[in-house]
Amino acid sequence: MALLEVRDLKTHFRTDDGVVKAVDGVTFSVEKGQTLGIVGESGSGKSVTCLTIMGLNSKRNTISSGEAIFKGENLLTMPSNRLRDIRGNDIAMIFQDPMTSLNPVHRIGVQLVEAIQLHRDVTKKQARLRALELLKAVGIPRAERRIDDYPHQFSGGMRQRVMIAMALVNDPDLLIADEPTTALDVTTQAQILKLMTDLQEDFGSAIILITHDLGVIAEAADDVVVMYAARIAEHAPVDNLFKRPHHPYTWGLLGSLPRLDADVERLVQIRGQPPSLLNPPRGCRFHPRCPYVMGICKTVEPELGPAGDDPDHVQACHLDVETKDREAAKVLAGTMAEAS
Amino acid sequence: MLRYLARRLIWAAVLFIAVTLVTYVLFFLIPADPARLVAGKAATDADIKRAAHFIGTDRPIYVQYAKFLSRIVLHQNLGHSFANRQSVNSIVGAAAPVTASLVLGGAIFWMLLALPIGILSALRPRSLLDRASMTFVLVGISAHPIWIGLIFAYVFGYRLHWFPITGYCDVINPATDCGGPVQWAYHMFLPWATFAILFAALYVRMIRANVLETMNEDYVRTARAKGAPEWLVLRSHILRNAMLPVVTMLGMDIGLALGGAVFTETVYSLPGLGKTAVGGLFNNDIPTVEGVIVFATLAIIVFNLVVDLLYAWIDPRIRLT
Amino acid sequence: MAEATAPVAAATNGGVRGDELLVVEDLKKHFPVTRGIIFQKQIAAVKAVDGVTFSVRPGETLGVVGESGCGKSTMARCIMRLLDPTGGRIVFDGRDITRLSRAEMRPYRREMMMIFQDPYASLNPRKRVGFIVAEALEVHKMGTEAEIKKRVQELLEVVGLNPEHYNRFPHEFSGGQRQRIGVARALAVNPKLIVCDEPVSALDVSVQAQILNLLKDLQSSFGLTYIFIAHDLNVVRHISDRVMVMYLGHAVEIASRQDLYVEPKHPYTGALLSAVPVPDPELGRQRRRIVLEGDVPSPINPPSACWFHPRCPRFREGHCDVETPPLYSFGDGHVAACHYPLERWPMTEEEVRRPMSGPA
Repeated sequence: MALLEVRDLKTHFRTDDGVVKAVDGVTFSVEKGQTLGIVGESGSGKSVTCLTIMGLNSKRNTISSGEAIFKGENLLTMPSNRLRDIRGNDIAMIFQDPMTSLNPVHRIGVQLVEAIQLHRDVTKKQARLRALELLKAVGIPRAERRIDDYPHQFSGGMRQRVMIAMALVNDPDLLIADEPTTALDVTTQAQILKLMTDLQEDFGSAIILITHDLGVIAEAADDVVVMYAARIAEHAPVDNLFKRPHHPYTWGLLGSLPRLDADVERLVQIRGQPPSLLNPPRGCRFHPRCPYVMGICKTVEPELGPAGDDPDHVQACHLDVETKDREAAKVLAGTMAEAS
Repeated sequence: MLRYLARRLIWAAVLFIAVTLVTYVLFFLIPADPARLVAGKAATDADIKRAAHFIGTDRPIYVQYAKFLSRIVLHQNLGHSFANRQSVNSIVGAAAPVTASLVLGGAIFWMLLALPIGILSALRPRSLLDRASMTFVLVGISAHPIWIGLIFAYVFGYRLHWFPITGYCDVINPATDCGGPVQWAYHMFLPWATFAILFAALYVRMIRANVLETMNEDYVRTARAKGAPEWLVLRSHILRNAMLPVVTMLGMDIGLALGGAVFTETVYSLPGLGKTAVGGLFNNDIPTVEGVIVFATLAIIVFNLVVDLLYAWIDPRIRLT
Repeated sequence: MAEATAPVAAATNGGVRGDELLVVEDLKKHFPVTRGIIFQKQIAAVKAVDGVTFSVRPGETLGVVGESGCGKSTMARCIMRLLDPTGGRIVFDGRDITRLSRAEMRPYRREMMMIFQDPYASLNPRKRVGFIVAEALEVHKMGTEAEIKKRVQELLEVVGLNPEHYNRFPHEFSGGQRQRIGVARALAVNPKLIVCDEPVSALDVSVQAQILNLLKDLQSSFGLTYIFIAHDLNVVRHISDRVMVMYLGHAVEIASRQDLYVEPKHPYTGALLSAVPVPDPELGRQRRRIVLEGDVPSPINPPSACWFHPRCPRFREGHCDVETPPLYSFGDGHVAACHYPLERWPMTEEEVRRPMSGPA
């Protein structure tokens, strides 16, 4: 049984302008010890999906439906105190901006101890020892001294390590990381990604990694979900996604990346911009921007179906398999050319 | 830190001189002559001249000011009133506790009012409570303290007889027939309420804005993600941060108000610094007015310094330079 | 403390040929840190830019890459004279503009324009788009009202926006469209040089591609020269002809695009290149990474001699922390400030730690 199974998750926000359908029917599952990458641009719904799973959306004006089954229980319908037991304990979350995600007026030791004492019946002293252990595990130098420092006394990369330590302090089964490296420099990003994959081996947790960076996905994810306009466009194991992508949005994403290791004269452009979630386009949500649009795309929304013969690879597009294979090969040739 | 304090003290001295000097000069420019008042209604020119020499107004302005300054610094003596020759030290000494009672008691009153209203409004934006409190804010800021004072005095004092209309009672010394803490509080209740309304309105607005802003901060989301219950999120994360600016505003406002809460004192006939200063102005009584100004300036300077130090203590990000 | 900075020749592709559009020599910008009771005395300085030398030829794109704190944004503002340099020389189109007064700088402001990072903050939300694009034209009195309006509409079209939207406000546009407005604004006065300060960092990947393609097209249509600042090495590779790598206020390597990405010489460049995640899982698994330890040091107290030595896997005690490396030349305009440059690329971390050759 999968660790987390999300079925037809929907999150709608009531606003003054109407109902924003931020997540509109998302289904996926996460296995124990595995890393699921969720990739998408702003407005795709990737963050809101995970905030909904954790129950961190503001209660007012939010309607959620669907299921998020974690170890047999539905996170979306459980009573709030049970959900609070799980948050920070069995499922932990780290966020994008380490500068603002830690309370500036409390020492980090205090914040770590709070995370521990919320879920474990231990003394402050014991909690502090555990906090020290984690700070050392994430590579904070001179942890015994730094545990009493304030967040502003750490650099961005160090703060993110503290966040990771705080998330892992209760040995969660699942760690949700929402763009954990986006706000960091590239060398720091490399350190943090390495840290996360090392810790995953040590702690055995599953990870949901949300990002807009396909490079990070390629490096860190086992399984990938590509989201567009609040729905899933494609879902495949990572090798398949990059070798045989089967959705025009994925092709566009891959083609629009400037490459480090190859010279590309002109980047592939996806024309237009992401659609409004108040009033998404009829039929396939990507159709206004799709270079392969057909008549049916404008009226019938494609369902997630298998991509060829691989059961783990699904996509939502009306194009036939042969065209998809052909286009996938083109993208592969175009972007993977002359790797030096 | 010491460097910071040294710098603040030097600036405090500069400010003190500037404020008192400007007041002195302004008095000098006013055409009325205090010597004439001191000499009395039936004074001859010779009498006025003698009076002028007695109170020192026949010397040039800078000499007067220098004497005034040296007297304060060396002897802590604020001089004598032109109007009744009473020592200004004692005048101010009598008025200050009255104003202090009003202001400090008023501050407690307004915080007790503003904190719950502000926080609850922020926690339930756009609710009925929120709208009601915003109306309260509007009225409190727009209505003049004199008007509020008169309304309160009329309704609760004259009509309902719940509280006395005017008068002040000492907390400790029952000099007149009223005294002691109970009488004191009884007489001060309406003044406190009047004085507090304006500030309560301002603070409700500020507290509400701060809490609303803090509620959306990332670290509050982190706290919830750790599984913290709402009351802990509120106490340890939201309020701890949202109240920082409130503390500093409080210090500054109290310092300012100690200079003389004139309107409230006038409505309720409280013999505080405000009334004393106004009276001195009408009499061209430089020493009294200067005395009140000295006190007020010192109060503001001290409170501002305390507030800055306090802020540096409670917010670890601040480093005094 | 004698600093052995490179002769200007090394950084300007074999001598000042006289046709460079912009020559920057030993540019320094220090921000003072003061202390004192009444009179503030300077006790230290944040050396944001501490001796940068390079040149840019007309029509080319110089990419400037580096992480936070390296001084690239400060350097850009110094070049544009939005900040006053503390030292060094800036020669634009043959004229030394380093110490020109405000009034003297005014005609040069038409020749160099800037595109900013944040499309949400860099446009005045209270002004209509037409005004924003036209402002520079009006300041420099480049035409009558009617002519200016026509030009603005042309520009909007050139950058891919609808000229009818002349009267709209910035908030009515998306992030990518706002950035296009920023480009139009920069183009309005026909500048010779456009400094792009992280113009695509705040945009989604699909929109990023649009803007990058647009910039490239405009460059060939209008013969523009770009200085393109970014932290994303992929983007810099795509758009630059030559690239400069900055670290802690210094230029540590300058090379043509091909040379830098295929044969980097400076260990920091190597670390940067190997840190960038590549969208190819197989390649990613095979790749040999150099992961740097620690954080970037503070620019108030930079390390002695070579600025990179505390984190450098090739560090040689007694040499790297004693003698500041000059910009050694590797031919063809490729310079790098390292005593023990990388012999080849890629290298594994172990190989990097063991320099084969002696000092350059």
